[in-house]
Amino acid sequence: MSYTFSILSPLDVPLFTHDFGTSRSGGDGVSRLTPPERALVPFILHSSLDIVEEVQWGPSTSAGAAPMYLKHIDKYQNMFVSCWITGGNTRFLLLTRPRDEALGLNAGSGSNKGSLAGGRAALGSSGGLYNPSAPATEEAVKNFMVDVYEAWVKTIMSPFFAVGNGDVVKSPVFRQRVATAAKKYL
Amino acid sequence: MTPPQDATPKPPTYPADVEASMILPKQRASPASSLASLPYRRSNPSLSKLFESTTSLSTLRPSSASGTATPTATTVPGSVFSPGSRAGGTGTPSSLPPGVSDEYRTLIQRAFVPSVAVLADAQTEELVRAKGVEGGLLQLLRPFGESVPGKVTIRDSNGASKSWEDFGVRFVGVDDAYPDVRVDAVGQRTSSSSLRRPRRTGGDVAQIEELVDRHLQYSEFNRHDPVSDYLNKGEPAAHSESTSSPFYSLYLRRLLSGLPVVPHETFSHPVAGIIAISSRNPHPIEELRTLYNRQHDGDLRFPQWVENDFLRYYVLIHDEETGDIAKSNQTFDSMKRHFGLHCHLLRLKSQQCIPSDDDSVRLPTCEWMSASEELAEIQRRETTDDITDPAPYFPDSDISSLRTFIRELVTQSIIPNMERSVSTWNEQILSRRRGLSGRFMSLSKRWTPFGSSRNSSASSTSSPNSNYDSLQGFYRPDAPEAIMRRLADYCFMLRDWKLALSTYEILRTDFQNDKAWRHYAGAAEMAALSTLMAPTPLSSKSRSENIDTWIEAASYSYTDRQRSAAPYYALRTLMLSFELLRLRGSSAADDAARWATRILETRLVGPIGHVLITERISACYSIRTGVGTYRLGSRRRKAALWAVLAAENWRHLDKSFPAEKCLDTALRLYNLQVDTQDGGMVKLPFEDMQGFFDELRQQIMSIRLSNQGYTAEEDGQEEDDRQSPDVEVATETLDTSPRAHRKSFIGAVAPPIDVGSLSPALERKEDVDSKSEGFE
Repeated sequence: MSYTFSILSPLDVPLFTHDFGTSRSGGDGVSRLTPPERALVPFILHSSLDIVEEVQWGPSTSAGAAPMYLKHIDKYQNMFVSCWITGGNTRFLLLTRPRDEALGLNAGSGSNKGSLAGGRAALGSSGGLYNPSAPATEEAVKNFMVDVYEAWVKTIMSPFFAVGNGDVVKSPVFRQRVATAAKKYL
Repeated sequence: MTPPQDATPKPPTYPADVEASMILPKQRASPASSLASLPYRRSNPSLSKLFESTTSLSTLRPSSASGTATPTATTVPGSVFSPGSRAGGTGTPSSLPPGVSDEYRTLIQRAFVPSVAVLADAQTEELVRAKGVEGGLLQLLRPFGESVPGKVTIRDSNGASKSWEDFGVRFVGVDDAYPDVRVDAVGQRTSSSSLRRPRRTGGDVAQIEELVDRHLQYSEFNRHDPVSDYLNKGEPAAHSESTSSPFYSLYLRRLLSGLPVVPHETFSHPVAGIIAISSRNPHPIEELRTLYNRQHDGDLRFPQWVENDFLRYYVLIHDEETGDIAKSNQTFDSMKRHFGLHCHLLRLKSQQCIPSDDDSVRLPTCEWMSASEELAEIQRRETTDDITDPAPYFPDSDISSLRTFIRELVTQSIIPNMERSVSTWNEQILSRRRGLSGRFMSLSKRWTPFGSSRNSSASSTSSPNSNYDSLQGFYRPDAPEAIMRRLADYCFMLRDWKLALSTYEILRTDFQNDKAWRHYAGAAEMAALSTLMAPTPLSSKSRSENIDTWIEAASYSYTDRQRSAAPYYALRTLMLSFELLRLRGSSAADDAARWATRILETRLVGPIGHVLITERISACYSIRTGVGTYRLGSRRRKAALWAVLAAENWRHLDKSFPAEKCLDTALRLYNLQVDTQDGGMVKLPFEDMQGFFDELRQQIMSIRLSNQGYTAEEDGQEEDDRQSPDVEVATETLDTSPRAHRKSFIGAVAPPIDVGSLSPALERKEDVDSKSEGFE
């Protein structure tokens, strides 16, 4: 699986972007996005902000205070977006691109490819696939987000960093911490 | 820089065409594209007229009041940007957001109209052919049937009448109902060398793709002057709210043109039949009887699932020049005595007319021809060297008598007859089913052996007592289900959405019990469509509960539930429903986009359709505007994403103009002005995005320039001279543009277009391919 993690300011300015791959189940932590996919990633992340805002301001699904972790919110083709929102309305977006095998793309789609026959087979839906709202997946993403949030709070507490001005995070320490959290949980 | 010139129909300018054909040799010499040798580079005025007229017809409403003025593209200033469609009593659902036209709703409404079978004797065909119409009487009548002049008043089942201005009928021939057998036989017999006879029935997605591609190619290569697009680039910004492209309209129209004659729906089954004889015929009454018998039982019969006792309308065609009007009147009187009131005397001049004649009028082009017909027409015009317009010209009097004929046929025979059928069937069959006893009957029919109307011929395997012939896959035309389906379709065509909906709902359960899956899908499809067409507001709950299930059931049953998939119908279901959902206000726009995405995911369309639908998804999202100052719940960024995707896909297909249009739409949606004149740099939120944009725009420019034939080739000196002013201007415009790395391509070798594929879909497909090959 490949991930792209982005932090966006309340005014939609990207403050931080980090690409990585999964480190679990034998992954080497390197992103496997193809260049054309990678080119689309910023567009997809940006477009999912529409949904983020809707979930953020829409009727709350959980009792009590609005949650910071909005879970899986959006999907474009095979890319799934999860969101964490901070008190200052800064958005953490994590885009997940599962491997093709995890999506069942190799199984049946080769046969009717290119034909106009269409049909459900082309949707490639069967059991045992990547499910963005599975409890295990959600928990892993949540743990990652919590770690990043902690690092983020420490970063913006720095008096030399004016997050309100839309300063881009350049701190290597922060990047290191994000990478560690990614390695640990994703 | 949007050049939406493709949207504004402009009269074919002959000087420009001549110029284009002068440049032609140079374009041929350019090695930039091997496309140069393809025939559509030929710029032929008659051909360009054909292309322009078809494309610009997209929003053309029947200008019924115009009397004899033929609604050709050159006379009508309609464009996508000024839809005049909301004026007529079209019953726009609820309230449309400003700037949204219900163009497609009108289009859908006009697509489902009654069909009329046409049968003529040999003398009539001869007469019509002598006037320059190749296809005989059927071909002559078709353009006139598309829009009935004047208002047409229809009474619905409750007795309330409503007038429609855009009513029409389609004329069909008997051979349209036999798609495979007869056409193949004819094709083999007449000519083994040339192409097959074009079919009047549509339903072939691949041909629609090819046709739209032709139109796109044409607009790509015949943009005479790229510089003017630069100079008037300020103008198109005014049209920013427009989201529909003429090519999409064309796609949709061709999708709905020539609905195939199939058992599971009756839209293309004839509601009435015209039997025409000429006054030259020595035995008119006998001839009419023979023709009737041939159509009813003989070799000209429709397939057995088509109801055969439709209304017959008898026409005597009087030849004004050789015939004797007294004799014709006499014949006509005896016709009325024999056949009743459904008769008409049509007076035509037999002489051929030329354009320079005094009161000659160009025969209108057929708006709802099928894709294969239009392709054949394009090919024919490309291969002939004749530059004159091949459309025949008719004297004014002929045109007006034809119009009168159509109006009488529709308002005095067809519509009253349909209304009568609807009320009869409603009383005799539907209300029996709807009441308590009806429900009980259908239950008893299902569960007990003594059900009603057991069909002896039905060798059904599914359930013992159904009328469904599951081996051949149809209901006999006199079965109650078939009559109810006809009733529902009549209601749909007469725009009585409510009765149509309730009938389709009953049918849906019946078909489901009989396991007649294609019929079931058809009923579900039409139930969804008639709900969406009805002007009543729709609660979001009923929408999600009913319509979504219906659409889902229809698209699933059309494709997956049966052995022989019908992707055309699934595509039709999804396309029409998402277009109609889109008009249902902002909350339905998400659903619309979801169904449109389903089209892409299930690969129901080819490459052209893919891009066009991507564009439409963007339009679906952009119709959803948020509430309040912060525009909460708007889908602006989603819309922009899909616009970018569309732009990129257009680039893959080497179509620079639509690509650029999409790119500008995207920029507008990202809240950035299109290239301010003074070169103020505007930035997208992500740097990567900006880079992607710039690269895309650069590639689009290079495609355009190579399509226009600008290369570094050693052109003739005089050609260079002639071109130089244009080139100068272009270079300057490019240099003042804010993007530093955008080079001028003029005078340099055109950069390679293929700078790595940027589409994930394409890449993955190749992957899959190689893998699957490895397995085998």
